[in-house]
Amino acid sequence: MAETPIILVIDDEEAMRDSCSMILTKDGFRAETAENGHIGLEKARELKPALALIDLKMPGLSGFEVLERIKDIDPAIIPIVITGYATVESAIEAMKKGAYDFLPKPFTPDELRIIVRRALERRKLAMEAESLRREKKLMEENFITMVSHQLRSPLVAIQQYFEVILAGMVGQVEDAQKGMILRARERLESLLHLINDWLDMARISRGQIVDKVKPLALEKLLEKQVEFMKPLAQEFKVRLELRPVEKTALVLGDEQSLEQVFSNLISNAIKYNKPGGSVIITLREEDSTLVADVADTGIGISREHLPLVFDQFYRVSRSEDQKIKGTGLGLAIAKKIVEAHNGTIQVTSEPGQGSTFSVRLPKAEPEGK
Amino acid sequence: MNNSPKILVIDDDPDFRAAVTPILKSALYDVVMASNSQEAKEKIFAEKPDLILLDIMMDSLFDGFSLCHAIKTSAEFTDYKNTPIIFVSAVKEIAGSRFQFKGDEEGMVGPDDYIDKPVKPDDLLARIAKFLKK
Repeated sequence: MAETPIILVIDDEEAMRDSCSMILTKDGFRAETAENGHIGLEKARELKPALALIDLKMPGLSGFEVLERIKDIDPAIIPIVITGYATVESAIEAMKKGAYDFLPKPFTPDELRIIVRRALERRKLAMEAESLRREKKLMEENFITMVSHQLRSPLVAIQQYFEVILAGMVGQVEDAQKGMILRARERLESLLHLINDWLDMARISRGQIVDKVKPLALEKLLEKQVEFMKPLAQEFKVRLELRPVEKTALVLGDEQSLEQVFSNLISNAIKYNKPGGSVIITLREEDSTLVADVADTGIGISREHLPLVFDQFYRVSRSEDQKIKGTGLGLAIAKKIVEAHNGTIQVTSEPGQGSTFSVRLPKAEPEGK
Repeated sequence: MNNSPKILVIDDDPDFRAAVTPILKSALYDVVMASNSQEAKEKIFAEKPDLILLDIMMDSLFDGFSLCHAIKTSAEFTDYKNTPIIFVSAVKEIAGSRFQFKGDEEGMVGPDDYIDKPVKPDDLLARIAKFLKK
């Protein structure tokens, strides 16, 4: 980091800008100045300074507003506010709003130097921590990708041979042989599903989800899933319905993971249903959360089994179950994803009548500012 | 009489290469092989393939991407930049994010098509034919 740190001074008093600029330049920093908040923000955007010294009392855009907006430009910019000595309260207010420190007017060159040094030190630490965090995350993700590749490769190679044999491309295959190869291929497929689910369990973490969340409309996501599941519902002779909803709030979520959750819940609700049964999905608001209910008319889950359904490898036992394939990890993955969103997933059930899975997700706060 | 189109299969897995060969031969294509990026470069210049089947993860996580990008953009491969490339891979996600089909966010130039492993023989042949028929 041989680069000279840029320090942006935003102050309407020319004397203040000049003296700060002189002191900082003499100490080997690159000082930039702005005579009002608008220019200050523009320069912050353009120069990405290490620190910003912001006068709280300026005509036009106030120091407080600059302080708030500068965070959005680049959270790595460390803001320090300059205040008249009579306004300690506003200094405290500024600290609450994210200022790193404050400099009461009038100040000596040494006071300025100390605060600037300390802030730069702090920035360096924060940036190092951030780059370490990123590196660690990338290593973890690459590791899972490598493991996934190494576990899957041999199985995929076997499947590839089967495909070629079954296509009759290396000689005629007799029916009995074909039957066995088809069975073998199916077993391989289940094993691949299991590996995928296992890796999902390893991959999903709160940190990873939090990095990806953005406000999204849950009803849109549900509509898409319902559309996607229609063929499966038809196959099982189950009526699939998304109750129309009035405009609901957005939730903070990672689209891909939430799709996985609802695809799992809806496909379970269809598969563990009875012919002529139904799957009804409703969306409702409840305080600061949005709740999606997936209700089926299936066999239900007995009271003693209810607490176990979200456990890894738990599967509802049922004599004709063999036709329903699964790894027993689907609901465990769903729970992990929902909880990584700071949400909850619950189930209520009436044996013989059906089960309802409820996913509760926090609404995206419409930022109170 | 050698007018059949030539397909270069780039994959580090000898079993995949062995399994895919009968599929391609069944449609009377000429088949040449490479097991890594370096060998692939040599084969491209020596054999002038009409189409390339490319594995994504070979020696490293990204070498299929890098090779594809190089063929499509670098001066070295300028004679081959229009050669169709089909990614063939068992990995759909790289570093936690879903693999981008055409053009990566880092400005990588992507393949012309993408097929999951294991490939269905009919599907593979249909996609190849789409590029090779005039």
